Amino acid sequence: MSADLGASAERIRTRKVRIPGPPGPADGSTPPEPAVLAAPAAVAHASDRGARIVAVAIALAWHVAIGLPAVLAMRTQFTAPTVVLGGWILVAVTGAVAGVRLLRGAPLPPWPLAGLLLAVDAAVFAAVGERQLFAAANWVWGTLGWFFVLALWGRRVSGLVALLTTHALIALAAVLAHGPGAADLARYTMYVYGTFSLPVAVFVGSAVIVGLARERAAAAAAMHTLAAERAAAERSRQERRDRLALVGAAAGRVLGELAAGEVDPDDPEAQRRCVLAAARLRRLIAESDDVPDPLLHELRAAADLAERNGLPIDLIAIGTPPPLPVQIRRRLADPLTGLLADARGWARLTVVSGPDEVVVSLVTPDREGPDATGPPPGEHDDGPVQHLYERDGDIRWAQTRWLG
Amino acid sequence: MGADPVVGVTGDRLVGVAIVDDHPVVVEGVRAWLASEPRLTVLATGDDPDEVLRAAPDADVVLLDLRLHGRMALDKLAELSATGRRVVVYSEHTDPGTMLAALDAGAVAFLAKHEGREHCVATVLAAASDRPYVPPALAGAMVGDPRPDRPMLSDKEREALLLWFQSMSKASVARRMRISEHTVKQYVDRARIKYTRAGRPAATKAALLARAIEDGLVRPEEIGIYRSQATHDRPTP
Repeated sequence: MSADLGASAERIRTRKVRIPGPPGPADGSTPPEPAVLAAPAAVAHASDRGARIVAVAIALAWHVAIGLPAVLAMRTQFTAPTVVLGGWILVAVTGAVAGVRLLRGAPLPPWPLAGLLLAVDAAVFAAVGERQLFAAANWVWGTLGWFFVLALWGRRVSGLVALLTTHALIALAAVLAHGPGAADLARYTMYVYGTFSLPVAVFVGSAVIVGLARERAAAAAAMHTLAAERAAAERSRQERRDRLALVGAAAGRVLGELAAGEVDPDDPEAQRRCVLAAARLRRLIAESDDVPDPLLHELRAAADLAERNGLPIDLIAIGTPPPLPVQIRRRLADPLTGLLADARGWARLTVVSGPDEVVVSLVTPDREGPDATGPPPGEHDDGPVQHLYERDGDIRWAQTRWLG
Repeated sequence: MGADPVVGVTGDRLVGVAIVDDHPVVVEGVRAWLASEPRLTVLATGDDPDEVLRAAPDADVVLLDLRLHGRMALDKLAELSATGRRVVVYSEHTDPGTMLAALDAGAVAFLAKHEGREHCVATVLAAASDRPYVPPALAGAMVGDPRPDRPMLSDKEREALLLWFQSMSKASVARRMRISEHTVKQYVDRARIKYTRAGRPAATKAALLARAIEDGLVRPEEIGIYRSQATHDRPTP
């Protein structure tokens, strides 16, 4: 028997080290996985929020600090000053709204916004006139690319490239309309390069940084989970070893005294000690907290308490209970743990679980005398949990049953 | 408590038992249990099934410790069952998966080591005459069987198994279900017979089934399709 027990403890220990998930909270009401997955997402979100603030700040600062003074200084030189200024105001207002919405995590619909920006783009190029075409007063050159970035935040870079390309074609049409020289085309090329490079760099760079942050956070979270699992496995292994040592010592003492003839096998007290030691060893072999189920956990705690008070108890669980609301668990466990406190002689606690049924039963010997603490005999329903209690002279039998 | 008296199953002939266990103290303990029943005689003991059966080729029942020298002897169990050896598995490993695997492999019965003398004697006597005996631990494993291809039990059979597992007293189950103890046993045994169709075929399973039909415990047509069992809920006379 002792060799088998050792082998069994070994087997259980090996299984414990390979627990797939982190240990749940004591009441098990929330599965732990989402919290673990949420950590990298939160880090990525924080990182992304920083990049958004940067993008909004660049767009609005450029628009106000560089675009506005130039527009105001040159307003008399435009072919249609109202259009240029009106376009600026429209983009300023739309850009501010889009920026605020983006920071709040509820961006404006991207494509209508992009369409509006392109329409302003074309109107301003038409209205700005030949002399101001490449001047700072043609604010769409410098500013619009940043608003494209705001409009398409979090989407694929190809959309941004398409918008910037359209922007470049509109500009090309305006340049060609004025019969450009070689210098104009060279300037055009430079401007297009300038409007492309920075927004695309910021757009791609922020996406990469967010991705890296998420990965790093995920790696860190995984390591933490692993460490927590290892610690939990180590702790439960240690607890199990301690219990085995304790139980083994108690059983060994009884056996030693019996072997040495110090104790009489016919002595009821010696028999009681043997029964208790055997029950403890049996439970140690049969039970494991591999499945951190809160109902079984509660019942085990109650059984441990009864056992410490000297009651030989068997707790046998078959199947894994489905996740149950705490009220149902209470209704299943509480009536029996209450009776357990009053049990004498021995007790048999069983749990049979399926996906839509959990039956918990406590059987103890029936005793003489009035039933001070027991519930009234018979059957009654407590919400979705059926209670049953009866004494038949041989046994007291309490059963709670939940049907899903 | 609650073990069934098995009456006149083998006539006057003694039932020969072979015990295979790698712990001498357990062998001695089981031998002492069996010695309390005059119809049983232990023919051979040892820790190697082949050697024990060479020493006692005529053993009616083999009591086999499922864990021999640190290994689960399920393949040996299947081999013995296929050749018609009535093997009663006994083990302290009472997780339901192991118990059901032992039934699938052809064990006539599964006995938890702590279930004690009465169940041990009753199981061996029943096995010797190819009759089922379901100790409470095995009833628990059957009632909680999660496998999708498990035999389809009727409501009464399930309830009888469940209550028997909980209380370990057929008298108490009978009072609770308001039926006779005999009927409780029939429900439990019928559930067990349905398990003869789970897992691979074995000579022992065929023998259990044949005897159950002979005894009128089940009708042949009931065994063919389990689904129909839900509608046949009355015990056979």
